[in-house]
Amino acid sequence: MRAILAHSGVHAQSRKFDISMSGLIVGDHDGTRTLHSSGTWSHAVVRVLSGMKERMGTVQHDEQGGIRIQAMSKREWLNFVDRLIKENEGEVIGVRARGSRFQYAPLESAEELRLDYDVTILPPKKYLLPTHEDLMTFDISKPFEVLANIDEGKRILLGVHPYDVLAIQQMDEIYLGTHRDEHYDARRKNTIIIASDILNVSERSFAGSLGTHVVETGFDLLVTDLGDTVAVTIGSEEGKRLLDTHSETREATLEEKKHVKRLRKELPSRYARKLKVDKYMWQKLLEENYDHPIWEENSKKCLQCGSCTLVCPTCFCYDVDDVMSLNLKEGRRVRTWDGCLLRDFTRVAGGEIFRENIKDRYRHRYYRKGLYLPMRNGFVACVGCGRCATQCLPDIADPCEIMNTLASFSMHEKVNFPIPDVKVAGVEEGLLIPEPATILRKERQTDMETLYEIRPDSGRRLEYRPGQFVEVSIFGVGEAPISIASSPGRDTFELLVRRIGHVTTKLDTMKVGEKIGIRGPFGNGFDVSGIAGRDILFISGGCGLAPTRSLIEYVLENRGDFGKVTILYGCKEPGAVLFGNDLQEWSRKNDVLVKKTVDQCGEGECWDGEVGLITTLIPPLDFDPERTISIVVGPPVMYKFVISELKKKEVPDENIVVSLERRMKCGVGKCGHCQMNGIYVCLEGPVFRYTDVKDMPEAF
Amino acid sequence: MKPRVAFFDFASCEGCQLQVINLEEKILDLIDVVEVVSFREAMKESSDDYDIAFVEGSIMRPMDEERLKRIRKNARILVALGACACIGGVNRLRNEWSVDEVKKEVYDEADIEGNRLFDVFPTKAVDEVVDVDFRIPGCPINREEFAKVVAHLAIGKEPRLPSYPVCVECKKNENICVFELGKFCLGPVTRAGCNAICPTHGDGCEGCRGYLDDPRMEAAKDVLRKYGVSFDEMMKRFNMFNYRKGAI
Repeated sequence: MRAILAHSGVHAQSRKFDISMSGLIVGDHDGTRTLHSSGTWSHAVVRVLSGMKERMGTVQHDEQGGIRIQAMSKREWLNFVDRLIKENEGEVIGVRARGSRFQYAPLESAEELRLDYDVTILPPKKYLLPTHEDLMTFDISKPFEVLANIDEGKRILLGVHPYDVLAIQQMDEIYLGTHRDEHYDARRKNTIIIASDILNVSERSFAGSLGTHVVETGFDLLVTDLGDTVAVTIGSEEGKRLLDTHSETREATLEEKKHVKRLRKELPSRYARKLKVDKYMWQKLLEENYDHPIWEENSKKCLQCGSCTLVCPTCFCYDVDDVMSLNLKEGRRVRTWDGCLLRDFTRVAGGEIFRENIKDRYRHRYYRKGLYLPMRNGFVACVGCGRCATQCLPDIADPCEIMNTLASFSMHEKVNFPIPDVKVAGVEEGLLIPEPATILRKERQTDMETLYEIRPDSGRRLEYRPGQFVEVSIFGVGEAPISIASSPGRDTFELLVRRIGHVTTKLDTMKVGEKIGIRGPFGNGFDVSGIAGRDILFISGGCGLAPTRSLIEYVLENRGDFGKVTILYGCKEPGAVLFGNDLQEWSRKNDVLVKKTVDQCGEGECWDGEVGLITTLIPPLDFDPERTISIVVGPPVMYKFVISELKKKEVPDENIVVSLERRMKCGVGKCGHCQMNGIYVCLEGPVFRYTDVKDMPEAF
Repeated sequence: MKPRVAFFDFASCEGCQLQVINLEEKILDLIDVVEVVSFREAMKESSDDYDIAFVEGSIMRPMDEERLKRIRKNARILVALGACACIGGVNRLRNEWSVDEVKKEVYDEADIEGNRLFDVFPTKAVDEVVDVDFRIPGCPINREEFAKVVAHLAIGKEPRLPSYPVCVECKKNENICVFELGKFCLGPVTRAGCNAICPTHGDGCEGCRGYLDDPRMEAAKDVLRKYGVSFDEMMKRFNMFNYRKGAI
């Protein structure tokens, strides 16, 4: 374990890792087919899967151009494994028996290695993204002391089947691509993969149909157990070094080479489970079957136990929580595997669960694997290992069966799930380790809400756009996404926080001068240059005024760049009004129209605005629907009604902008919680052009 | 000031309090962050001046109810400790029969008439008598979870139980599913937090932590039928910790 002291904003030493964006291949058996061949991959950025390309792309060839294959006797192979174990090349993790099944576990001797296994219970992923991992430790008795935990232990994974090699390449793409994950990176760099050809086919696997039963890159060595001898394909310089240092090999005989070839060639015919539809058709099938009866039917049988996601080699969602030791000083921020089948996966502090219906959660997993991730990354996020099907007690988790069913009975009702093409330069390093910041000012707004003025201790000015958010950390309690409520360009920033969850409740008890952690800014924010020159109609409900205020301030600071400015604000009751002073100040300006309303006003309560829902402010309003950009931000229930009023005023869809709330746990498009169909709200949102999300089933 | 903590027991084996004592060296941390003022299993002093009450056991008698209400009145925070307190647990099984039948079965001819100690009503969980702020379920409780709840209360973070089933922890432990071993398991409908201790040791989950808020009972029964579990067997297993009249 290497510990990096994070203080004064200096954290996470920078280590460059090049991700090549050139041409792609998704480990197909013919090794050449690109995802474009289907002609249906719309948004796909097709790229070489592995960030480990430099190391892994070097399969050695012989003079004739064929792949060079070495060989050794079985005895020599066992000696080789034993030497790896004894001669300190790192922890040797191999496939071992666990009762009637198999698992990856540290090897004590070569005899324990079972290359004849069919499939392991959990994938080797658990050594790259552990089930539980301390991301950092901290001491809350100090003002701000955080230590990043980076595991740089060397490991050799022995016996990895081709489908799992490909799954690791997918993980590399997710964790080493944009917003590189330091913790994963350190493990991955120190992991050597010795792959193994499949000898026994798992009952529920359909790798033969996906072409994931063989692999040509992504390993350091690839071994093929031929009975009396073992053939070895060298996949990297590191693999070659291991082989040269710890074994005596000879070039494989022609017979052995033929044997290897035959084994691989015959493998697909040995699979009992076969896809009846090409994997390049999954996207189309899913686009056309969002309302297929199978989702409802199968979800009735679903236990919601999450097993299908937990055993999956390509699932990568996680949750993070702080765990305090009983001495109340030291604590850990722990990352654990999470799964989209579990009810609270999309739950936000306010209690809303955005994918509450079991059918929606059941369907989401298939859409993520077969449509959303392919659109985003260019590969089907399923390698056909069959673990989900093996573990699912009601037997409804098998992608092979689902795709075959959809293919035989397709609804042909096409729904589009576009991912807005949004690029916002953001934080790229030290993503998970918060930097210290100090509470400079606290201003109570209502019983529930307080405005905080914050300054990063490093003195750096937070560069953000209105509408972006930061992750606020209180060590020992956790982290919460909070949108920035002040306009950019100052040394400090403001957060409006409602006391509603763990973090915000704790924050409420903190005093001026105390330290919090911040990460970010994250998200896209409002396109301020895109709306310049237009009339702006702000429509905010409740806490929605917080991100809107950032933009209002920006617009007022650059008043000459905008036309008419109208601000509509609604909340429950006079006591719940936020930014009362600001509303008053804005309404005193003669070039800003402010209208405010409360849902209800008790008798004798002091209130100088309207009474009624925010929607009632829209009909009497006089504005040019073509010239006006409407910025709508409020609680989830508000959008439908406000937008319907705007439509009555003939506001075109492209003139409506919304900001949506979801559970933005990581902020960097990894943890999966904020996903809305194919969109990551933390990356492509939270601000959306209405046109981009209006047909998105999970948006409103 | 350190929060003052008291432990109380009602109908139970007191095994959950024993788990607290079993924190061993961590108990030193415990008494560093809280002041234990009543803990019959561990000390002789006692006091009615406390902030947090940990209540073990289920409620069986009018005299229990009175005592529990007094505890509730004294405590700022009341935490139900263990299956008996949280869901009635094994004690609740006797609700299948009338109080008279139970007395007859257990005490037969013994003279208990008019003795307040034997004046019982059908078993209740603690929250059927008073408001409960937090729960630490299980038979017995998981002491790691207990330590976590105390730490949370001490730093002002609301302790929240997992909302997902035991299967999640079981999978992370890479266990062979006990159904595969031919055993009965309530893991899919039972609240996690025990780190799947029973399946990890090769036994099926018995549901001692209580069901999830939204257990998928029908789906679970389908699975049990698929694995050949008889209706009678199901009835017995479902009732063991989570008795309900006509449970299935």
